[in-house]
Amino acid sequence: MAAATSITKEYQKFTPMENETDTEIKIEDLWVKFPDKNGGEPVTALQNINMDIKQGEFVSLVGPSGCGKTTLLRTIADLQPPSTGNISVRGKTPREIRLQKKYGIVFQNPVLYEWRTVRRNVCMPMELMGLPKKYRTARVTEMLEMVGLYNFGKLYPHELSGGMQQRVGIARALAIKPEILLMDEPFSALDEFTKEKLHEDLQTIWSKTNKTILFVTHNIQEAVFLSDRVIVMSPHPGRISAIVDIDLPRPRTLATRDTTEFNALVSKVRNSFEGV
Amino acid sequence: MEIEKLQDRTNVEKLTTVLYPVLFGIFIAVLWQTQILHKILGTDTFTLPLPGRIISIIGDNHATILKNVGATLIVALGGLTAGSLFGYLLGIISTAFPKWGAGGLTVVSAFNAVPIIAIAPILNNLTKDFSKDANTRSMLAKMLVVMITCTVAMSINAYRGLTELKPFSLDLMQSFAASKLEIFFKLRVPNSVPYIFTALRVSVPACVISALVSEYFAEYIIGVGRQIRENIVLAQYATAWAYIFVACAIGIIMYLILLTLEGILLKGRR
Repeated sequence: MAAATSITKEYQKFTPMENETDTEIKIEDLWVKFPDKNGGEPVTALQNINMDIKQGEFVSLVGPSGCGKTTLLRTIADLQPPSTGNISVRGKTPREIRLQKKYGIVFQNPVLYEWRTVRRNVCMPMELMGLPKKYRTARVTEMLEMVGLYNFGKLYPHELSGGMQQRVGIARALAIKPEILLMDEPFSALDEFTKEKLHEDLQTIWSKTNKTILFVTHNIQEAVFLSDRVIVMSPHPGRISAIVDIDLPRPRTLATRDTTEFNALVSKVRNSFEGV
Repeated sequence: MEIEKLQDRTNVEKLTTVLYPVLFGIFIAVLWQTQILHKILGTDTFTLPLPGRIISIIGDNHATILKNVGATLIVALGGLTAGSLFGYLLGIISTAFPKWGAGGLTVVSAFNAVPIIAIAPILNNLTKDFSKDANTRSMLAKMLVVMITCTVAMSINAYRGLTELKPFSLDLMQSFAASKLEIFFKLRVPNSVPYIFTALRVSVPACVISALVSEYFAEYIIGVGRQIRENIVLAQYATAWAYIFVACAIGIIMYLILLTLEGILLKGRR
């Protein structure tokens, strides 16, 4: 009897329930409303959002300004409370996941602390976690090597270019080994050349680390190039108008952008917007 | 090549920003020493002694002057430290209680409008029971005057430095589940450092001025400001001018020390 129980336990340990392995983020009937500043009817930012994101999946939220894509990301990150509906991340609430420091977030601007060197910026979240210094130093080195900035560790943020700063932000987000990487228009302020380079870098990092990535953007090409799935959102009120599977082979390169398949998918996404 | 040219240009700019004021100073000194300045102002060498004479008086009386400089420095630096620390504390309190914090600071800034000359005699009266030693109790009264002038600038700038955070920096901390205390020490305090220097750029010159003025009304006769007054009363204009000269030097040197510290501590910021 005792042996049977322990075998069952072992079995559970190594083969978790299917819904636990498969679905990372589950959103059911989510609504977010913001109170109107002039005392009128509340503004609906997100209406009836339902979606499932699988573990290790790269999903983009794409849509014009005001479609609530950033609000959706912030709600998942527990930076914005939902009005109604349910979000579960690995079977837990977003707050539990945030407090367990399982999220890595990259914002629209790099949000580097200008009083800290590149190394100490990457180190910051690990300090908050109380990790030992020796481990932190090794991890910072590892992260900076991954984003190709090892030689820039002693510089201050303002001495770096915009693209390099954003790479430091990505290194910082990944330093705490988050389960889920949330990226809110991280490349929107960069020039086209830097952007294309970082797209390939991000793809490499994703394939190396196997994180689930939720990527917010208003750039259709960017979304198609990076994602396994593109969730198209439309504004007023913010809602999901289509979900497009991107089955382009990986690794994707500059040449991928010139294929007819790529362009067909871009058109498909573009034609999915409603009421813009 | 281009970069070198640009660096040369900035070096030339740095040099001229120092050189022009120095040349102007020398020009005035020459007018003064040659008594052309006296003709322009319609005065004589008794009321406006020549620079050479002022410097020789400083040399002759350096022991007495140093004693008075020491007294003034204790008042100025003591009041500056106490006022800045208290001001920063007010900034922290306003940050912790944002609902009435900002409004409270508006009340604090009203203190800025109170003229020092008006409060100095009142403070002399208030501190008369503090110590039996006249020098000690008048030191306290003078320091309080300086403290009041320094508190306001620091409290308002500290509040701004602790609350005016760059976009998303608070979100970033929250996404890592940082506690309020961690946010305070790792984000708010370092963010406030440039604002501290903004406050000090106002209060360092102000602490010297208010220290000098508070000495005028103090019970015990000591300090650079008081010596200016005493010597003018005695019609010893040359000695009074020597103390005025020293007072200027104190202000300028303290400001230069501040700028040097700022350059070191704000390195890497923009």
